[in-house]
Amino acid sequence: MSNAFRPLPAVLLMLCAGFSASALAHNPMCECKAIDAEQIQCTGGFSDGSGAPGVTLDVIGYDETILVPGKLGADSKLTFKKPNAEFYVLFDAGPGHVVEIDQADIQAP
Amino acid sequence: MDPMLGSPQPRPSHPYKTLIMSKKSRSKLWFLVHSWLALPIWFFVLIVCVTGTLAVISQEIVWLANPQMRASQPEGDAPLLSYDQIIAAIKQAEPQILVESISRPDESHFALDVEVTYPDGRSVVVYVNPYSGVIQGTAPQFNFRAFTRALHGWWLVPFTNGYSWGWYLVSFLSLPLLASLITGLVVYKRFWKGFLRPTLRLRHGARIFWGDFHRLSGIWSIWFIAVISVTSTWFLIEAFMFDNQITISTAPVAPVVPRESVPLTADGSPAPMISLETAIREAKQRIPGLEDSFVSLPANAYSYLSVGGRSWYPLMFHTAEINPYTGDVAVTRLLSDRSGLELVTESMRPLHTGDFGGLWIKLIWFFFGLLLSMMVLSGLLIWTKRTALATANALKRSHKRPRTADAAQATRRDTTEVSQ
Amino acid sequence: MSLFTAEKPGSRLSRFWHKWRFHINVLLLLVPLGFMPKYFADAALFRGDTGLGEREIGEVQVGPWSLRLAELRNEAPRLDGPAGYMKNFNAALCDSCREQVKATYLRIGKPRSLRAAGVIFFGTPYRMGAMLPIPEKTQADAELWITMEGWDGAMHQASIPLSQASPATLEWLNKQGGKP
Repeated sequence: MSNAFRPLPAVLLMLCAGFSASALAHNPMCECKAIDAEQIQCTGGFSDGSGAPGVTLDVIGYDETILVPGKLGADSKLTFKKPNAEFYVLFDAGPGHVVEIDQADIQAP
Repeated sequence: MDPMLGSPQPRPSHPYKTLIMSKKSRSKLWFLVHSWLALPIWFFVLIVCVTGTLAVISQEIVWLANPQMRASQPEGDAPLLSYDQIIAAIKQAEPQILVESISRPDESHFALDVEVTYPDGRSVVVYVNPYSGVIQGTAPQFNFRAFTRALHGWWLVPFTNGYSWGWYLVSFLSLPLLASLITGLVVYKRFWKGFLRPTLRLRHGARIFWGDFHRLSGIWSIWFIAVISVTSTWFLIEAFMFDNQITISTAPVAPVVPRESVPLTADGSPAPMISLETAIREAKQRIPGLEDSFVSLPANAYSYLSVGGRSWYPLMFHTAEINPYTGDVAVTRLLSDRSGLELVTESMRPLHTGDFGGLWIKLIWFFFGLLLSMMVLSGLLIWTKRTALATANALKRSHKRPRTADAAQATRRDTTEVSQ
Repeated sequence: MSLFTAEKPGSRLSRFWHKWRFHINVLLLLVPLGFMPKYFADAALFRGDTGLGEREIGEVQVGPWSLRLAELRNEAPRLDGPAGYMKNFNAALCDSCREQVKATYLRIGKPRSLRAAGVIFFGTPYRMGAMLPIPEKTQADAELWITMEGWDGAMHQASIPLSQASPATLEWLNKQGGKP
């Protein structure tokens, strides 16, 4: 079933198997917005509504140098100072569980 | 007792007429609500009850129909094979096969369910003998268990974005069911007397029989109807919450093996993984008393191996996620990790399906499921026999009388007719 | 019951309605009957009885390796709540690379790094699946990039036009006019 493709705890899969042939997904998501002229705030989470406290969120330059290494706080948020260089934000819950946000896609305040 | 359900007791005629009347009309109102609840959708309710009843024992039905699913012990007291031995036996029989998970059903007369993939890309469950490791057969294309569950659970309406509307349709029935239980108990005054003096009159015609049956099975099913309606109300809430991204889960973020902890190999062959027995041993060390009723092999190079089984509380599972390269237990999800709310909500599904304590619990659930189906049917029969007659009479008379008088007449007639 | 008998008898049609209105819900049975073919088709699809997916894309060469790619469903991306539109792809690794490939990823557009290679495939080398987010602003000439990582640390990449990977997705993108 398609729900076997998600990194859900196995017990959920066992219970779902046959019970719900659904594609009730659990995909990572991340949203960033500029809260003022200087600062950007990113919020991570999963599509089922759960948060992502402690998940890595790095601000990476276009030249692949990590400008701001960070982890989301208990509220699944991280605020950082807007870098001077061109950058993108990588929400990284592990290999293959990433969300990438380019600086061009970050809303102005 | 309610007069409209064919009370065996004569109604007293009191001097305090107004008081009695208001009491009576109140109970009549309750009764009306009760009889209207399931009525417009009685057939739908009936089918949902019947399919649910079948779903409870669907695994057992398949077991009866399909000998490949049975776990027969080859000799007197052959021991159960370990999961590693099972995989070795499968590999020996079919070297190309890849195992994804093994689960040991609750009841020991079932063969192991092993999820495998074949080189042609088929992903199926095979039944494997737990004593010999022999692949006894492949789960048939028509999965009766999944089908009855899908029919009962979401009326086969596919899930596309979030929960299917079929799921809402079915779980919405929990509300009339709950209301039927409550109003039923209100109109059936002093229902507890029914426990002491059960009444089931067989020789007074169908109307009386079904009335007695409806009440008698009703009082003995109070607990069951309460369980089913409360758990299905939860299913309704659960779907609503999911579709609105509301979660009460305290589970940690789904764990993924970090890139740096997956070893590289010089020759490009897959990094060696620990054996399942080692993984289970590690998990048991961390979680004393852990049952290993299933193992789920890593779904890719960066996923954990999971082991789990029921905790002492039969409605819930303990699981451990183990790093398949090092044997480290990365994450555990135990009974004690659940919040109080989760303990309640996670118990809902097993309580609804009766799948938490082996065959006997299932049989009890099946019996009461059958009884509940019969209650829907008998409720309908009572209603048809009473109302059809009343309606027919009313229609006949309506040619001669003005409508208001006629309605009153019909009501009176209806009442006398049923209280005989 | 007065509630019923007080109704106006009226015409034949209304009498018919009053007699049968509570039986009409039998028609609800048509819902599962109607969905039954779809249910069984889906069951066969997930079992792999009808192949890797509804639409085979074909063999894609990725460096020394290759994989067979298919769309799970030959249709437009489906919405997954707030995470946006998603498209399921299935894949099977070539016979000779099954033991060498550690992980396979999908992404729309060329990945900046291995870390940002996109979504990972789950399953066995015979049949694995990935759920790929399709941003609504994806351009019609976008490419689907496949990144494969070897157990020895090697990385290989290849791309195919999205129009080839999923014509249904392209049609969907065109229809909604490529949001900015």
